[in-house]
Amino acid sequence: MNDMRIVERDVDTNEVKIAAKDVQVFYGDTHAIKDVSVDINDKTVTAFIGPSGCGKSTFLRCINRMNDTIDVCRVQGDIRIDSEDIYDPKVDPVQLRAKVGMVFQKPNPFPKSIYDNVAYGPRIHGLAKTKADLDDIVEKSLRRGAIWDEVKDRLHAPGTGLSGGQQQRLCIARAVATEPEVLLMDEPCSALDPIATAQVEELIDELRKNYSVVIVTHSMQQAARVSQKTAFFHLGHLVEYGETGTIFTNPVDPRTESYITGRIG
Amino acid sequence: MTDASMTPAAAAPKKSSLSVVDARTRKRNAAETRFRMYGVAAIAVGLLFLLFLFASILRSGIPAFTQTVMDVEFVLTQEQFEQAESKMLKTGEYQNIFVNALQGQLEESGFEVAFDAKAIERIVGKPGGTIRSFYLENPDRVGTPVSFELAASSRVDGYFNGRVTRDNIVDSRFLMASDLDLVDALEDAGIIRGAFNWNFITGTDSGVDNPGGAGLGASVIGSFFMMLVVLFLSLPIGVAASIYLEEFAPKNRWTDLIEVNISNLAAVPSIVFGILGLAVFIQFAGLPQSAPLVGGLVLTLMTLPTIIISTRASLAAVPPSIRDAALGVGASKMQSVFHHVLPLAMPGILTGTIIGLAQALGETAPLLLIGMVGFVAREYPEGFLSGFTHANSAMPAQIYTWASRADPGFYEKAWGGIIILLLFLITMNAIAVILRRRFERRW
Amino acid sequence: MNDQHIASAFDRDLEAIQAQIMKMGGLVENAILEASISLETRDEERAETVRRADKAIDELEELINEEAARVIALRAPTAIDLRLVLTIIKVSANLERIGDYAKNMAKRTSVLSQMAPVDDSAGALRRMAKEVERMLKDALDAYVSRDAELAQDVIDRDIEVDQMYSSLFREFLTFMMEDPRNITACMHLHFIAKNVERMGDHVTSIAEQVVYLVTGNTPDEARSKGDKTSLQA
Repeated sequence: MNDMRIVERDVDTNEVKIAAKDVQVFYGDTHAIKDVSVDINDKTVTAFIGPSGCGKSTFLRCINRMNDTIDVCRVQGDIRIDSEDIYDPKVDPVQLRAKVGMVFQKPNPFPKSIYDNVAYGPRIHGLAKTKADLDDIVEKSLRRGAIWDEVKDRLHAPGTGLSGGQQQRLCIARAVATEPEVLLMDEPCSALDPIATAQVEELIDELRKNYSVVIVTHSMQQAARVSQKTAFFHLGHLVEYGETGTIFTNPVDPRTESYITGRIG
Repeated sequence: MTDASMTPAAAAPKKSSLSVVDARTRKRNAAETRFRMYGVAAIAVGLLFLLFLFASILRSGIPAFTQTVMDVEFVLTQEQFEQAESKMLKTGEYQNIFVNALQGQLEESGFEVAFDAKAIERIVGKPGGTIRSFYLENPDRVGTPVSFELAASSRVDGYFNGRVTRDNIVDSRFLMASDLDLVDALEDAGIIRGAFNWNFITGTDSGVDNPGGAGLGASVIGSFFMMLVVLFLSLPIGVAASIYLEEFAPKNRWTDLIEVNISNLAAVPSIVFGILGLAVFIQFAGLPQSAPLVGGLVLTLMTLPTIIISTRASLAAVPPSIRDAALGVGASKMQSVFHHVLPLAMPGILTGTIIGLAQALGETAPLLLIGMVGFVAREYPEGFLSGFTHANSAMPAQIYTWASRADPGFYEKAWGGIIILLLFLITMNAIAVILRRRFERRW
Repeated sequence: MNDQHIASAFDRDLEAIQAQIMKMGGLVENAILEASISLETRDEERAETVRRADKAIDELEELINEEAARVIALRAPTAIDLRLVLTIIKVSANLERIGDYAKNMAKRTSVLSQMAPVDDSAGALRRMAKEVERMLKDALDAYVSRDAELAQDVIDRDIEVDQMYSSLFREFLTFMMEDPRNITACMHLHFIAKNVERMGDHVTSIAEQVVYLVTGNTPDEARSKGDKTSLQA
């Protein structure tokens, strides 16, 4: 009865972009992520929800190997993007991070001009041969970040002079400037007010046409609004992973139901 | 079942009014007021001492900037010139001409006073040589009126400053009580006056018997070359070491050990660095003694811990979100440090460097053992490169040297040197503050 | 007030279920019309079509409930959005009941067409059904244009439907008393009339929902009871 289905729910027709299998993460002796296996689809927004300390941010940071910067962190298991193992010793994390962009919780534009913020990534990866190319990339990225109209007249103003919501959209524009295929977002709206949050969520909805987006969020309502698939983490385990509508109306696992209805912390 | 009648003792808590201050609050407020008073008093005492310090420095040091000079004008006729040149004791002849001219000038002004060539010598020294060299260089000035400005001796200077008075003067070959009348007469005639002593600032050091002619100029140059060495060595080495320790070094016991030792080095007495400099740079490496290069190297070793500590603090003050953002965009660790962290830490690094340099500028003890103290810096170095290797003194060393000389005339020079040194230090610290204010960023 | 939500997907979701309601409304209006025509023309085939078409109406109601639950779970609507979703749920329930009554009408039509026609009763019934269908149309129009006045008008018109039912009730009594052979047919016709009157009540309920949606208050006067038959001795 697909013609009666109201919202586009074409998740099942998208291919798998990120495949994680039996992933374990240790911080020193603490076993933070236990046996997590999940397949994340392309052109889809996938949300990771769960109580504080459940490991969702840790798992997110495994996908672009940001955990490498932490000395005591050890990652085991298989994580593949487009069927390539990203923890293979031949893989250079720097190159990986051009393909997998990241947006952080607190907007952190570089203390440079708006233009330089967006141009930095393409510059160091050599994506633009001429100044005109670079200008194109900057404009395209700022448009993708839904902030072009607001800043096109002041590209050389400092990035830190924008409002919170604008800064976060600038960070998103910066992340897409390196032409990534995956966008990771670690609680991107927690530092923003409701209107800015709504604008960023609308932007994320746009972005999923081109990228696979994985968003970690403390707010279940945000996961409900913005994602097509949701994964519920609890104490380092992946408890349930499924289509967002189903998870929020009729979850399978009782732990998921308890968390969503607010019956456990 | 609870008792229906509650005991009166367990009545509801008393309600207090906000407009009545209770005893505890009053006591607390009194204690805080007292504490504030203590603080203000402490600051006031500190300011008082500061004022006292500055007043005494200025009082003792300002005389160093004034010089008592004699204006003498005379005409040297051609015959006098040739006559003087033909004599055996040429400068002596010029001296006579000078004395006669002075006498004439004095009589013209209408002052009758006993004249004595020896007294003139005590007052103004032997300017014969100066006069002769002038005419030899400018023979065309023969026959025309020439005005000479000659420095008076340091005792006369002291008389004008109030250091030497008719009461405490001790007759010596430097000055006698009877000379003072002559000096007064000369002053009334307008021949002797006080003038600003530029030579103090630009001139070189002089021998122990000529305090009046001593100048700080050469040691300023010596300090300058030393600071160049310190700046160009300690800044790169310090910043590079800090970057490595802060960003790249693994956090294990070895790096902890290094960190502790660097902090300790900052507290090592500076004379130890002097011994180190002597042993390594002069004896082992054979560098020239008293050279600003060696002084600079020693001071570099001393300043490095300061620079490393302040650079590390600046680097640590850069929020980790910037590093994360850079890494997230695909920069390598090195790129993120050099493109993002370092520019943001630069104001703090500069401030730390300038403060370190200011400290190094004022160090004396290490220079003691490498020969810059006690050295009489008589000449300026010839060229830029020889400035590093030409033996010289440094400002604080020069001040110490002057302070330890016997002649009281050097005493005020020492104070004057302190004023100049303080000016340098205040300027450098002011630059540091301005830089910090200007580049300070809010995240 | 801006009509669009910042999150355009929210607007899309709401528009989608409103479209479904309008579709359901159209189907139900059609069912009422077809059922009353088939009654008047004694067209058994038409009646059969109406009975089959009710399945689609039931499925739509189920779908709308599911989607409304989804919107509540995922969007946490507030204020006018919440009233909208609650209205949609109730309206779809009302529409489904109206559809069921139309189906019942069609069922009895098949039976009635076997018997002799009772005097002009079908015509009266058709007029009543037509009035109810007009009321439904107006109620749905009031919903679309958020017109509380039109909705209130619909609520007030229910009294006429009730009066029509009362007079039909007396008429059927008279027929039954006149000729006992009419009793079976009149009983069926009476049930049909009762169904239409109940349809009118449900349409009124829809109109009340529209008033709630627009103003946030339920209309407070008690619905006028034009049907005095329960008091008739």
